[in-house]
Amino acid sequence: MSKETVKKEKILIIGSGPIKIGQACEFDYSGTQACKALKDKGYEVILINSNPATIMTDPNVADHVYIEPLSTEYIEAIIKKDKPTKVVPTLGGQTALNLALELHQKGILEKYGVELLGATPEVIEAAEDREKFNAILDKVGAKYAKSYMVRTLKEGEEAIADLDFPVILRPNFTLGGGGGGVAYSLEEYRQKVANALHESPTSEVLVEQSLLGWKEFELEVMRDRLGTFVVICSIENIDPCGVHTGDSITVAPQQSLSDKAYQEMRDEAKKITEEVGVQTGGANIQFAVNPANGDRIVIEMNPRVSRSSALASKATGFPIAKIAAQLAVGATLDEITNDITGETPSCYEPALDYVVTKIPKFAFEKFHGSKDELSTQMKSVGEVMGIGRTFKESFGKAYRSLEVGSIFREDRIFFKDKISYPNSQRMTHIFQSLRAGISVDDLYHWTKITPWFLEQFKEMVDVEKELNSDLEKNYLKAKRFGFSDEDVKILLTKNHEKIKELSSKYKPTFFQVDTCAGEFASETPYLYSTFWSEVESGLKSQDKETVVVIGSGPNRIGQGIEFDYSCVRAVKKLRQMGYRVVMINSNPETVSTDYDTADVLFFEPLDKESILRIFDAVSPLGVLCQLGGQTPISLSKDISEAGYNIIGTPLDMIDLAEDRARFSKLCEKLDCKVPSSSVVVNYDEALEFASKAGYPVICRPSYVIGGRRMEIVEDKESLFKYFETNREVFGEGNPCFIDQFLEGGLEVDVDLIRFKDGCFIGGIVEHIEVAGVHSGDSMGVFPPQRLKKETQAEIERISVLLAENMGVLGLMNIQMAIKNDEIFIIEANPRASRTIPFIAKAMGVSLVDFAVEAMMGLKMPESLKSFRWDSIKTVAVKGVVFPFKKFPETDSILGPEMKSTGESMGRGENFPEALLKAFQGSDFKIPKEGEVFLSLREKDKKELLPVAQKLSELGFSLTGTKGTAEYFVEKGLDCEVVNKVLEGRPHCVDRIRSGKVNLVVNTTAGRQSINASYSIRRSCTDFSVPCLTESEAAKAYVLALTENKSGHVRVEPLTLTL
Amino acid sequence: MKESYLILEDGAIFKGASTHDVESVGEVVFNTSHSGYEEMATDPSYYNQILVTTAVMQGNYGAHQEFWESEKLHIKGFVCLEVQNSSRDKSWQERLKDHNIPLLSEVDTRTLVLHLREQGAVWGGVFNSPDKEAAFKKIKEMKDEHLLKDWTEVVSTSSIHHFDGLSKDAGHVGVLDFGCKKNIIRELIKRFSKVSVFPSKTSKEEILSSGISGLLLSNGPGDPGLVGEPVEVIKNLLGELPVMGICMGHQLLGRALGGDTFKLKYGHRGANHPIKDLDSGFIFMSSQNHGYALKESFKTQGTSVSHLNLNDNTVAGIQLKEKDCFSVQFHPESHPGPHEAEYLFDRFSSMVNKK
Repeated sequence: MSKETVKKEKILIIGSGPIKIGQACEFDYSGTQACKALKDKGYEVILINSNPATIMTDPNVADHVYIEPLSTEYIEAIIKKDKPTKVVPTLGGQTALNLALELHQKGILEKYGVELLGATPEVIEAAEDREKFNAILDKVGAKYAKSYMVRTLKEGEEAIADLDFPVILRPNFTLGGGGGGVAYSLEEYRQKVANALHESPTSEVLVEQSLLGWKEFELEVMRDRLGTFVVICSIENIDPCGVHTGDSITVAPQQSLSDKAYQEMRDEAKKITEEVGVQTGGANIQFAVNPANGDRIVIEMNPRVSRSSALASKATGFPIAKIAAQLAVGATLDEITNDITGETPSCYEPALDYVVTKIPKFAFEKFHGSKDELSTQMKSVGEVMGIGRTFKESFGKAYRSLEVGSIFREDRIFFKDKISYPNSQRMTHIFQSLRAGISVDDLYHWTKITPWFLEQFKEMVDVEKELNSDLEKNYLKAKRFGFSDEDVKILLTKNHEKIKELSSKYKPTFFQVDTCAGEFASETPYLYSTFWSEVESGLKSQDKETVVVIGSGPNRIGQGIEFDYSCVRAVKKLRQMGYRVVMINSNPETVSTDYDTADVLFFEPLDKESILRIFDAVSPLGVLCQLGGQTPISLSKDISEAGYNIIGTPLDMIDLAEDRARFSKLCEKLDCKVPSSSVVVNYDEALEFASKAGYPVICRPSYVIGGRRMEIVEDKESLFKYFETNREVFGEGNPCFIDQFLEGGLEVDVDLIRFKDGCFIGGIVEHIEVAGVHSGDSMGVFPPQRLKKETQAEIERISVLLAENMGVLGLMNIQMAIKNDEIFIIEANPRASRTIPFIAKAMGVSLVDFAVEAMMGLKMPESLKSFRWDSIKTVAVKGVVFPFKKFPETDSILGPEMKSTGESMGRGENFPEALLKAFQGSDFKIPKEGEVFLSLREKDKKELLPVAQKLSELGFSLTGTKGTAEYFVEKGLDCEVVNKVLEGRPHCVDRIRSGKVNLVVNTTAGRQSINASYSIRRSCTDFSVPCLTESEAAKAYVLALTENKSGHVRVEPLTLTL
Repeated sequence: MKESYLILEDGAIFKGASTHDVESVGEVVFNTSHSGYEEMATDPSYYNQILVTTAVMQGNYGAHQEFWESEKLHIKGFVCLEVQNSSRDKSWQERLKDHNIPLLSEVDTRTLVLHLREQGAVWGGVFNSPDKEAAFKKIKEMKDEHLLKDWTEVVSTSSIHHFDGLSKDAGHVGVLDFGCKKNIIRELIKRFSKVSVFPSKTSKEEILSSGISGLLLSNGPGDPGLVGEPVEVIKNLLGELPVMGICMGHQLLGRALGGDTFKLKYGHRGANHPIKDLDSGFIFMSSQNHGYALKESFKTQGTSVSHLNLNDNTVAGIQLKEKDCFSVQFHPESHPGPHEAEYLFDRFSSMVNKK
C-alpha cells in the first residue's frame, strides 16, 4: 500500500476538564504534548476537554477538538461520530482515568471496538483499589501502612493490638474528615474510635498506622512495551508525611538518601510498576521512609501522567507526556531520540547538575473561615519552581517566584504552632524562628523536617546578618543563596547605594537544563540563571531580532491558565513572524515552560531583577507585557525605566488604566459614565457619599488583599456596622474606597484589539449573574442573550472610543455594567483577559495572533475588517468551578471577591443547550427529579416565581422556608414549609444532610442574613447538592434542567474561522 | 574554608574552597551519578584520579563505613560545588581530611565538566596557590612517575585471601583482583560456596591449583594496555574454566581474545548509561566508570559483542560461548547505581555451577 492510500488511524485523547485544586494546568501541558506527539506519529487526533482556557483545546493542537462535558454520554457521541479506534486515558489526570473505567464498565469501548492505550481497566483498578494494590505490594515484598476497617468497638480493640501509636482514624463517608483524627495513646484511641463510629453514617472507621514525621519521596518512572524502565526524576518532600504532596515544598533530585537506600527504592518502584501491569507510559510512586531506621513504605501509585510528572519534566528536561504518548502507540524508549541532546536515546535517566525546588501557592485568604492548615487534602491553587545550582539558590529563587514578597526580612516573631502544625505560612515562621535563635534541633523536633534542609535554611538566615556586617564580602554569597537585590536592600540598614555597584559587578551566568549534567553537548536553550559561575553566556542573537514574552507566574485565583494560553499563542505567532522569541516564566505546570514552545526558555522568577538580567543577556527588540495577566503589567514600569521597549500599549496608558482617578477623569472627558466613587476615611464621610450616590454601595480598603473586606452595603445601618467592624482598618493613610453599586445591573466583558489603523471588537460576553458577583465567578454567555442590539452597538462604540483615547495597541478588556440601558464603565485593562480564549474558541478566531500583529505595528488585516463577532451561529456559555469542598468552613455564596479556580465551556445551537453543557462541564449536577428547597430574600420571590412554577411543571416537589413557601402557596403552588435552622429541628439543613433535597435555591443579602443561611449552603457543598445563590443563575439553571429533560446529546468540533 | 585551585595541565584554572590544605595531582574525571560519593571515592578504579561530581550537593547523608568499596579512599581529590558543612554533620568532609584527600568545593563544576568534555581527559591537581608554573611542574612529575605504569598492580591485593560463600552447594570461584570493588565479592559470596581473591599477577598454575571452578576478572584503574602478564594468563586460562570480566577485567579479556583497547575522550562515569543486551533485547540502566573501551574487532573466532552502550554505541560487553567466557564494560555490582545488571552474576553462577 502506498502511503497516500493509508487512512490515518484515529486516536481519542481525554482531557482533564476545568482547573481545580489537585488537577490543574499540568494536564494541559501533558495533553498538548501528547496531541503534538501523536499527530507527528501520523495519527488523526481527536480531543475532548470541557476547558476552553487550555492550549490543548486550541483548534490546531489536535485534528478535531471537542469542547464538550467530560461524561461518557458525550464521549460516546464522539466515538460514534468520529470512530476512533484507540483512546488514551493516561494524560487527563484522574478524571480521564475514571472516565476510561466507566466507558469500559458501561461496555462502550467494547461496543465500538475501541482499545484503551497506556492503561487497561485492570491496571487502573489495581492502582486504585486498596486491597488489590496491597496484594501486589505483598507479592513484590513491599511494605505498606497497616490499616483496619473497624465497625465495632471490639474490632477497634483488635485493630489497635496490631498497630503502633500514633494511628490515624478516618471515619467513612464523613466530609472534611469530620470525626477523625490522630490518636497518640490507648485512652485517646478508645474515646476517638467511639466518637468516629458515631460520626460515620455507615459506622465504619479506617484505623491506619500513622506515618507522621516520616520522610516522603516520589519517583517518576517510565516503562516501554519491551520492559525498559527508567526513573525520570526522584523528588524529596521537605514537608514530611502528613501534608499532601501537592501542598509540600519539594526538591529534585532527592537529597538525603544514600545510594543504597535510593537504589532499593528504585528496585521496588520497578517491581511495582511491572506487577501493577503498566505496559507503557509514565507512573508515579510515593514512598515514606522512617528517618529513625530507614524502613520504607509505599504510600500510593498513579499509573498515569500526574502533577508530579509535569514538575519532573520541567525539572529534568525529559518530556514525560510526549514520550508516554509515543510509547502508548508502540514506540520504545531506545528508538526515541532525546530532544535535548539531539543525539542520545531516551532510554536513560536524567542526570541533574542543579537543584529544583517547587513551592505551592495557597489562597486561604480568599476563603474566609477556612483554617490555614495543611493535611492530606490538597489545598494549594498553584505552584512555582526555582532552578539553582544549589538547594539554597533554587529555594531562594522559588520563593521569589511566589510573588508574595521577600522571606529575608528582619522579622524574628514566630509562633511555635505555626511551625509545628503544617500551614501555608510555615516557611516564614521557620525563617523567623531561626533569626530568633531557635536551634535546628528544636526545629527538627517540632517539624520532623530532615535536618539537612533546616541547616540549609539556617545558612540562608546567617548570611542575612553577614550582609550587614560586610556587604562587599558577602554580596556574592547572598546571590548564590538565591537572594535578589531587592531582598538584600530590605535587609540592609545602610549602604543601599552600594548594591547597584555590586549588582553590575556580579552578573549571573545562564546554564542549560540539558538532561545529562553536561556529559553531552546540547543545543536546546532551556536556561536558568546562577551566580555560581563567572562565565559569560553569549545569548545575543546573531541573525534574528529578539522579542521577550513574560508569562504569568504561578496559578492563583484570578490569574490562571487562560493567560498561559495567550502567552503560548503569542509565542507561536511571533516565531511565525520570524522573531527569535524568549519566554520567561516560573510555573512548571504550563505549556509556556515547555522547552520547545519558545526559541529560548528562561525558567526564572518574574521579578524585576531576574527579568532585567535576562534582557541584558538577550538584548531584546522589545517586551510583550500584555499577555501574562497582572504579573507582567506590574513589571512594566521597571522594564520601561530600565530602558527597554514595551511592545504595544505604552506604559503611561497602562498606568492610566491602573490609576482610578486618572481613569475616571478620562471617562468623564469622553462623556462615558463610571459608577460614582469616593475615597473616605470614616463613617461620616462614607455616609455623606452614600446619601448622595444612593444605596447599595460597595466598600473596600484601598490596599485590597485578594478582595478581602470588600462588601456590598445595602443601607445606612449596614454602612455603620461595616465601619464598626473594620474600625482597625481605616484611617488617614488607609482610606476606604466607596463606589456606587449598580444593583441588578447586567455586566459584560468586552475584548478588543486595537491596530494602529483601527479597532476590532473581539466580542461581548454577557454575565449571567447580575452585578455584584466577580466577573471571574459569574457564568457568561456569548453572544449576549438579554442585551438589546442598540445597547450592544453603544457598548462597542464606547469601547472603541476608550481604546483610541488610551492609545491602546493590542489587547484591551473592558468591563461594563448596564442598568436601565445606561452603560457604566467599571474598569479597563490594556491586556489579555480571562475571556480571550473563551471568545477565541467560541468564534474560531485566533484573537491573540491578531493582537500580536497589532502590537508589532501591523495594519488591521482585511479579513478582520469584514468579520463581525456577532455573526456566529452557535451560543457559548462559560461555566465556573469552585473549590469550596476543599475548604470545610467556607461559605459558597458568591460576591465581589473571586473564588473560582477554573471554567468550562458549553457550546450549543441555542442558549439552553449551551447552558446545560456549561453546567455539566463544570461538574454541576443536573437532577431529573426530586425535591427543590427554596429560601429566597424578599425581592427575589416575585422574580423567581416563574422558576418555581417551571420546576413544579417539570415534576419537582417544592419545599421552602416559611416566607418563601407561603408566597408560593399563595401563588397556587404546592410548597411544603421547612424550618429554618433557628426555628428548631428537623430543619432545612437536616433535610439537605439526609439526602432528601436535590436542588437548593438560596438567595440572600446583608451580612446578617448571609451568616444565618451559611449552614444551608455549606451542607449543599458537603453533600454535593447543587445550590444556586443568585436569581439569574437560578433562571439559567432551570433552562438547563428543561433542556436536559429533552435528552439530546449533540457534539460539534471547534472550527477555525479566521 | 580557604581559597584553593584546580589547575589543569592545559592551563585551565578553577577556583574553589578547601577546608584542609592538602595538595595532590591526578587525572581529572567527572561522574554524573546523583548519589554514592563514598562508594566512588573508595572504588580502586579511581586510583590516581581526581573525582569531579556533577551532582551539586555532596556529603548530604554523612559517611558510613558500610558503603566502602575497598579498604581505603583511592581518589586523589574530590571536587564539587557544595559539601555538607554544618556543625551537626560534616562527616564526609572529615573523612576526606582524615585520609589526606584534598576536598575542593565551591567550584564551578559545570564549566569544568564542559571543559573536560570538550578537551578530553586531562591531568591536573588541587593546589593552594594559583601559580600555574609550579602546578605544571608537579603535574608533570606525577605523570612521569605514573603514566606508563600498570596501576592495577598497585591496588591489587598482595596475597591470596578467601571468603566463605553463602551458597553452600555451589562452586568455588576466584577473583583476579585488579582493584576489585567489595560489592563484586558480596555478589559472589551470595552465589558461591567459597570466593578466593588472587593478586593480579598470579600465575595460571597457582590459580588452577586452588581448586576454583570459575574466575572473575575484576574492575581496576588505568590503561589496560599496560597491564601485561595477566593478559597472557587469562588467554591461557580460557577454556579451562568459565570467566567473567568486569570493566578492566572486560578490557583484559578483550585483549586476551586479540582485541584492542582505546582511550575514550572523557570516559563514561555515572549511573544512567543505557545498555542493550543484544541476546535478549533487554535494555537497562547501568553503573559505569571507565576511561578506556574495547574496539569492535577480535582476532579470536567466535567472539561477539553481547552488550552495547546505547549512548555512543561503544562495545559494552563481549562473549565467547565455546570458551565459557563473557565480560561487560559496566558494573553489574553497581554501588553506586542501579541494580538491573545483577543478572550477569546469575549467568556467571549458572556457568560455574552447572559444571
